[in-house]
Amino acid sequence: MIRFEKVSKAYPGQARPALNSLSIDIQKGEFVFLVGQSGSGKSTALKLMLREQRPTTGRVYVAGKEINRLAGWKVPRLRRQVGTIFQDFRLLANKTVAENVAFAMQVTGHSNREIRQRVPETLELVGLDGKGDRMPDELSGGEQQRVAVARAFINRPMILIADEPTGNLDPGNTVGIMRLLDRINRSGTTIVMATHDVQMVDQMRKRVIELEHGHLVRDQVQGGYGAQF
Amino acid sequence: MQLRYVFTELRQGLRRNLSMHVAVALTLLVSLTLAGVGLLLREQAQLTEEVWGDELQITFYMCNGANDRNPQCAGAVDDSQKKVITAALKDNRYVDKIEEESQEQAYKRLQALDVEGVSGPDPVVKSSDMWQSYWVTMTDPHHSAEIIEAVAGLDGIDHVGDVHEVTGPILAAVDGLQSAALVGAIVLVIAALLLVANTIRLAAFARRREIGIMRLVGASTLYIALPFLLESLVVALVGIGLSGMALAAVMYFGVEQRLSSTAVTQWVGWEEFFSSFAIVAVLGILLTLVPTLLLTRKYIKV
Repeated sequence: MIRFEKVSKAYPGQARPALNSLSIDIQKGEFVFLVGQSGSGKSTALKLMLREQRPTTGRVYVAGKEINRLAGWKVPRLRRQVGTIFQDFRLLANKTVAENVAFAMQVTGHSNREIRQRVPETLELVGLDGKGDRMPDELSGGEQQRVAVARAFINRPMILIADEPTGNLDPGNTVGIMRLLDRINRSGTTIVMATHDVQMVDQMRKRVIELEHGHLVRDQVQGGYGAQF
Repeated sequence: MQLRYVFTELRQGLRRNLSMHVAVALTLLVSLTLAGVGLLLREQAQLTEEVWGDELQITFYMCNGANDRNPQCAGAVDDSQKKVITAALKDNRYVDKIEEESQEQAYKRLQALDVEGVSGPDPVVKSSDMWQSYWVTMTDPHHSAEIIEAVAGLDGIDHVGDVHEVTGPILAAVDGLQSAALVGAIVLVIAALLLVANTIRLAAFARRREIGIMRLVGASTLYIALPFLLESLVVALVGIGLSGMALAAVMYFGVEQRLSSTAVTQWVGWEEFFSSFAIVAVLGILLTLVPTLLLTRKYIKV
């Protein structure tokens, strides 16, 4: 589903590459934690998966497409297959919960009928049944992240990329979001999640890919966060 | 494509950046009106040249041995001198037509003007006081100097009359006004371009969160850019409409009400107005849509 082949990424003006000859292979339906210190290359790896960046050398394949060779006009189609959630939720403050979730369908050309049917289903799936008319600032952090998950998942992407989704949440809400992501993963969606949360990684016992200074230092099935940190 | 979203965004964008849009529309109004005036002046200059160009003739007055102005004249022009003069005129590529006027014909023309002292039993001016002349029509009125240079110094020529000396400054003034209007238009067009660029940058900044989400969920570039393009198009149409009204006012109050009663030349009409306005309208749309397309590509790059 996602494959990096000897991928390096160097940013102009930086002495050290953000990624250095990274090779990983993530299968369909896997749940993978991407761990490492700040500056280890996690965010760059996620940006490459989203085709927000292109590798300096090497090849990146996402959903069967080599993103280096993907024409600009084909990028939106790729991104419809990749949902994303972020630490800061990135909700639109002037739209209700339902409108925020519907937004992802509206701007990708779905019909109103589809939107009316799928938005309540997805809100129910993420545990926000009956909260569609609320504004984002009326919700807790955990609930806001659930809205973000609903928006990322409403187009039923094959891959879900989560960049520190629990970074702003308390332990209770963190568990709730992780259960939700686990449920989405069980439905067949591949999940790649960058995190610093040691406890959560240890509890989930999923595959762990650890980066350090852009190098792969660990790729462990059912791993923990590790004793290095 | 969900057009409802596009039009909602368009409405919000127009409201959110209202003051900037008004500034762009007003700048477009002035720059497009000046460009339109420049185009109308160009049409006017062409019309004037067409009208006067036909009448632009050089007259070579030949010595009559009576009241010559040229001290080189030694009596009345003779046939051999006239042959040399006509040969020089016929050889000149800028000469279209040569008409000869005798002293009697010139005198009759003077009498027809009913000038005092020409008619009556004992006139002050007689036909022998008049000059024989060649009236030369040019193929191109801009080249009168070349013809004069070739002929004026020949024996038998007394003096030269060039209508271009009178009309030249008028045509030059029209040309000058046209250049001034076009320079003003260019300066304001640059101002309009910069204003459009600033407006797009501000609009993109105000909507950066929506744009970021749209990119991530896979909205197409066209879908993201469409509200910006429509916003610019609406402002362009307002600016073009206002400049059309201003130009129509110039035509109605300036040309129709004031100038058309003076028969100095043929004045530009509504046909010229519509052809100039069509160019101005295309210019207005290009001025707003081209920078919008370029900048949206930059700011909402997928």
